[in-house]
Amino acid sequence: MKNRMKKLLALFAAASMMVQLVGCGGGAGNATAGETNADTSVEAQDQAEETPAKEEEAAPSSEEEITITIWHQSVADTDPVKKIIEESVTEYHELHPNVTIVQDGVTGEQYKTKIKTAFVAGEAPDISYMFSGGSFVKPYIDAGYLLPIDEYLSQDTKSKVLPGTLDGCTFDGKVYTLPTITFLANLYCNTEMFDAAGAKIPTNWDELLDAVDKLNAAGYTPILMGEKDRWPGMYWYDIISARTASNAAIVEAFGDPSKFNSEGFVMGAEKLQELVKANAFNDNMMSMSYDEMIEGFAAGQGAMVFQANWVHPSFWADTAATKGKVTCVPFPVIDGGAGSITEFSGGSSDGYYINANCEHPKEAVEYLEYLSEKIGVVGYQQGAGLPCWDTTGVDTSTLTPLDMESAALMETGTSYISWWDNILSAEDSETYKDLVAQVMALKITPEEFAEAMSKLQPSEFY
Amino acid sequence: MKKILSDKKAITLFVCPTILIMLVIVVVPIFISVYYSLLDWDGLGRGTFVGLRNYMELAGDERFVNSIKNSLLYVAFSLFIQLPVSLLLALIVANIKRGEKFYRTTYFIPVIISGVVIGQLWQKIYNGDYGLLNAVLGSLHLEHLQQDWLGQETTALIAAFIPNLWQYVGYHMLIMYAGIKSISPEIYEAATIDGADSRQIAFKVTIPLLKPVLEVCVTFSLIGALKIFDLIYVLTGGGPFFTTEVPTIYMYKTIFDSFHYGYGSAISIFIILECFVFTMLLKLFFRNKEEQA
Repeated sequence: MKNRMKKLLALFAAASMMVQLVGCGGGAGNATAGETNADTSVEAQDQAEETPAKEEEAAPSSEEEITITIWHQSVADTDPVKKIIEESVTEYHELHPNVTIVQDGVTGEQYKTKIKTAFVAGEAPDISYMFSGGSFVKPYIDAGYLLPIDEYLSQDTKSKVLPGTLDGCTFDGKVYTLPTITFLANLYCNTEMFDAAGAKIPTNWDELLDAVDKLNAAGYTPILMGEKDRWPGMYWYDIISARTASNAAIVEAFGDPSKFNSEGFVMGAEKLQELVKANAFNDNMMSMSYDEMIEGFAAGQGAMVFQANWVHPSFWADTAATKGKVTCVPFPVIDGGAGSITEFSGGSSDGYYINANCEHPKEAVEYLEYLSEKIGVVGYQQGAGLPCWDTTGVDTSTLTPLDMESAALMETGTSYISWWDNILSAEDSETYKDLVAQVMALKITPEEFAEAMSKLQPSEFY
Repeated sequence: MKKILSDKKAITLFVCPTILIMLVIVVVPIFISVYYSLLDWDGLGRGTFVGLRNYMELAGDERFVNSIKNSLLYVAFSLFIQLPVSLLLALIVANIKRGEKFYRTTYFIPVIISGVVIGQLWQKIYNGDYGLLNAVLGSLHLEHLQQDWLGQETTALIAAFIPNLWQYVGYHMLIMYAGIKSISPEIYEAATIDGADSRQIAFKVTIPLLKPVLEVCVTFSLIGALKIFDLIYVLTGGGPFFTTEVPTIYMYKTIFDSFHYGYGSAISIFIILECFVFTMLLKLFFRNKEEQA
């Protein structure tokens, strides 16, 4: 009798452990084949302490309790959008007490992996951030994961959005998101170093080379480059080719890549290599990451970077060595090049997209309108970017001189092309970034570069 | 005890849960990956069946061949640098008079630290501007040796290996140490009586008796080197210019950066087969050695 009891007890223990394991293992599923499950509850996925967002239906007569999940990639403390999102969650809940927003953020490159696996596993949030330009979000739209929101947008919202900015949010004739803030890439120069080296802030290529020589002679690193992540170098080629070939030629080449194998683009690669040979970049550019580059510039380790206006908070922070000593100017003109100084790199807006399986699209879009406008206006005030929303009458006293400078530059712009890795397909972006890295390491000739670029696939957007 | 071991029903019952978990988490995904590897799929929409095309493309893919070359170099470093160092440490630690426990524990600590953390740590050590390594070289007046360890193609791969060596040398040392301790002291006494010095004892007595332990260590070291991912990904991301790119990293990039799930799955199947083949080869190798002895 006692023996039997022992056996039963052991069996029971084993069974209960099994049940526990099965129960815990539920969330971390394998990536199933690409069908979107008709999920009833969409959960916010996180390795650690996330509580599953449950949906509660109150009695039919009173308002429904709704939970909306949103994922984003604004996690850096210097990113104003991080705080904006957190504030919007509390504020929106006060405005709409029956709606609870649950937000979760993962930084940039890892976000790309996370959101992709989430969609395939059918566990994507109601609202998710997508990078600007189109090539990141297009596969999700083609696979039917995202919801067109034309029918939910109010006329009021459409009137507050700046003209033209909605174009970047429209795919196949349908609107999928609202613009927030836009970014412009310019050359940031440490004025203190320039003065100390007796160099002039460059307006054309010869002045740039001259400044590089003078800065080197004075012992400063002329240009900081964090090429480990490969896209900082890409920004340089994006803008140099805009100067040598012109934005119009770039747009043509996106549609017909054989046009990359032409004089303007070869010249662009030559100019980039000229800079490398003039010792313009830091020696360890291949192992320096983007974050190290930005921190390095803010700490006064280099005289120039070519980046977009999201760096303003870092460069103007109270702890930055560059506060009050940095200016932003348009990238120098190149004599003999077809491009002009009013052609810019940037101009498109990232956005937050609604899951096609979202249970409450109307409420989700309402929150989206609220959030996008808040980021557009408040983000602008805090120097996160240039607004895509009407900001007349908005208090601009919190803007730094850098923000004013880049806003002024945006007013002069005649044409904009977003970063190429947002326009080219995922695979071509990788190829392009690798090619630029090889150009900067002097491993291939400009001709070989242009030849390889001509083999890319035509872009779907141009 | 004997009653339980001979009770077949009990055995099946208790082994069942684990086998089930292993099937679901390990075996089934492998088969699913084999299916994916036969598709042309971007990971999001629907895929198209293409049969063995991914594998044929792999055979001609220069970047893939380069990644295999890198991983084989890594295996060579593991087998011919890491294991001898572990063996040496095990021999020393097993024979010192005081502090055995202390050294055992200290050498093992890196093993329990995550690969990502170790990657971050060594990244800072290798940093060209403010890294510890260059600082030490500078203080020894060896400035000409200071360089950008992780950013140069010539030094990147071996620089990516050192943290792995540091991390697992304690692991292999511990296994070998246990093996050494299990050798009967009478054999050592007999050898000493015959006039052997410590070097001869090490080579002629300890190491031959450690054969089964060495086989285990060689297998683990080999498979670990073939599968390495997190450390290299954090240190160099496969760069610079693919000099540290191993098949696991290439597979990750293919799937997540280039949206080629099918092709990436083919790479993963290759890695599995590679590990399997190498393990079989090792088993054959050791069996032959045993038959010779």
